[in-house]
Amino acid sequence: MTLLLAALLLLTAASGLGVVLTRDPRRQVFALSANGVVLTLLFLALQAPDVALSELAVGTAATPLLFLVTLVAVRINKSRR
Amino acid sequence: MTPRWRTLLLVLAGLVILPGVWRVAMALPPFGAPTSPYGQAVNALVPSLRHVSNMVSAVNFDVRGFDTLGEEFMLLCAVTGTVLILRGGRGEDRRAKAGRIAGRALEPRSDATVLICRMFGVFTLVFGFYVTLHATATPGGGFQGGVVVASGLLLVYLGEGYRGWRRIARAPVLDGLEGGGALLFALAGLLPVVLGRAYLENVLPLGTVKDILSGGLMLVENVGVAFAVAGGFAMIMVEFMEETRATQSEVEE
Repeated sequence: MTLLLAALLLLTAASGLGVVLTRDPRRQVFALSANGVVLTLLFLALQAPDVALSELAVGTAATPLLFLVTLVAVRINKSRR
Repeated sequence: MTPRWRTLLLVLAGLVILPGVWRVAMALPPFGAPTSPYGQAVNALVPSLRHVSNMVSAVNFDVRGFDTLGEEFMLLCAVTGTVLILRGGRGEDRRAKAGRIAGRALEPRSDATVLICRMFGVFTLVFGFYVTLHATATPGGGFQGGVVVASGLLLVYLGEGYRGWRRIARAPVLDGLEGGGALLFALAGLLPVVLGRAYLENVLPLGTVKDILSGGLMLVENVGVAFAVAGGFAMIMVEFMEETRATQSEVEE
């Protein structure tokens, strides 16, 4: 295992821990997105560009967006009452 | 149970499991060792059998094409379910105003955001088409291309705002793409059946390796997947985004 892979694996663990330890949902969405970027780099370093592309689009753009929109909708609904 | 007892139980359970985990971990093949005979066989045989240089696409669309068809319809069902739950209520009108959170200032979109999104939105869309079209030659394929196109549409939303985005991402078109793509995949499988061969058997001319038109029937299935994924993801985004719009009564107030 090269130094690059070791560093990326450590970063993956750190960013994953970041997602778990973030308590505020809004910040958690961005932590999740950051975790997605790190995973994308890891997959790229492991020579799996197909998976890296999927992870980049789904993990860092689509999923966080859906969470953000849901949080917005919840807040708007709360302020309606 | 108090938190202290819970932690103690966790530590005890960890100690009990640890020897087993250790044995299994030590028996695993070393990191990155290519031991899968299936993978080796695909790498050795498929380039000459199917004239394809992207093995992932070859596995997805040809070697186990029927599984991918199932996954395709799983996606279709998931998107249909989401749309069924979220459609109606509010935001169906393309000009619907954004919902407001009371006591919060409205920040206009900055010029920098518009500029960046106009530049990268177009690039992202073109890259999505590129990834889709070169499925059998370079990494990527219908799924990746479709998702990239959908995130390109997202950049259009960020840059142009809700109305401009909805002018491009029209729900009936997205519905058609989603369903039509899945149908195209299923029909592509029926073509060999008409010719008296097995379902999804690769009967089209295979072309030359590393060419954009290599892989035969894979290309048709790939386009079907790209349509379905781009349409499905964009559809889900539209439906979610509609939930942040003002309701009819709020607009009339």
